[in-house]
Amino acid sequence: MMVLEGLEVKGEEGSNMEIDIKEKNDNELTCIVEDVDVSFINAIRRICTVEVSTMAIDTVSIFKNDSTLFDEVLAHRLGLVPLKTDLEAFVLPSECDCEDECPSCSVSLVLKEKGPRVVYSGDLVSAHEAVTPVYDSIPLLKLKEGEEVELEAIAKLGTGLEHAKWQPTTACAYKYYPLITIDDSCEECMKCVNECPRNVLEYDESENKIIIADIENCSACKTCMNNCEQSAINVDAVENKFIFKIETDGSLSPEEVLKNACDILNNKSEKIVAFCKEGAKK
Amino acid sequence: MIPVRCISCGKVISAFFDEYKKRVEDGENPKEVLDDLGINKYCCRRMLITHVEAW
Repeated sequence: MMVLEGLEVKGEEGSNMEIDIKEKNDNELTCIVEDVDVSFINAIRRICTVEVSTMAIDTVSIFKNDSTLFDEVLAHRLGLVPLKTDLEAFVLPSECDCEDECPSCSVSLVLKEKGPRVVYSGDLVSAHEAVTPVYDSIPLLKLKEGEEVELEAIAKLGTGLEHAKWQPTTACAYKYYPLITIDDSCEECMKCVNECPRNVLEYDESENKIIIADIENCSACKTCMNNCEQSAINVDAVENKFIFKIETDGSLSPEEVLKNACDILNNKSEKIVAFCKEGAKK
Repeated sequence: MIPVRCISCGKVISAFFDEYKKRVEDGENPKEVLDDLGINKYCCRRMLITHVEAW
């Protein structure tokens, strides 16, 4: 990070941030983030959902639509279809030099089908080989015998600030890392084990005590606490430790979303640093 | 027509509807089909379970 050059990071928080990947597949990433505060991780979360740009269909010219679906409904369904996005290849329309549409800020997708059949997202013909629907099996409309549909859709980059169809993430959230403590007054009555809706607790027969089997699955609902007559169990949170989950719609990978979110945050911080330096000169 | 995305969280669920419908009609347990398709959140699961294809 350029902005931190020559600066010493003071204070405990943020200096030894650690990230551990817990689970990962194509569209989902769960990681455990340690030694950061709420404001930082929340900033990352908000940028992930609302400021990282993706491709989505924005304007639709419908030449023919004989189906029972209204033009507006059809255009809305098209807008919600996630498109594979290459952020390097396109610029936001607001930052593009062109007046209306050009190949560097928009992609045209054409749909021309005849009934009887169900038209799927895979039937969209894209002008750019990299910008295609993530799923080919999204039903868009149904055509009966003799009905036709013909349209041209223009996909553009955008951000979730403007419309939810441009959000790269679906579920993007963090929770505190849970901390469960069981003290000596526990009588192994099994109420907490049986009542826990997420099977976090287990009874260990060999040692005759309650053990925590799956701490990361705990939602801190405190059902175990409320059912314990001895008040032996306590549910709390580990300070400055979070479980962060990103699920994307497939347009970008979770890593790309995180990387871009950090770039956006970095650019903003650099602007503040530049402003402060200039202000000091005056 | 089934909504393209889950109304609550935005996950694309319509892409799995044809397979879900076919497998349930063939006698599979809806719970197992949903687990197999990777539809884990209850907001997304209700989208498929409660949908009635009217036309």
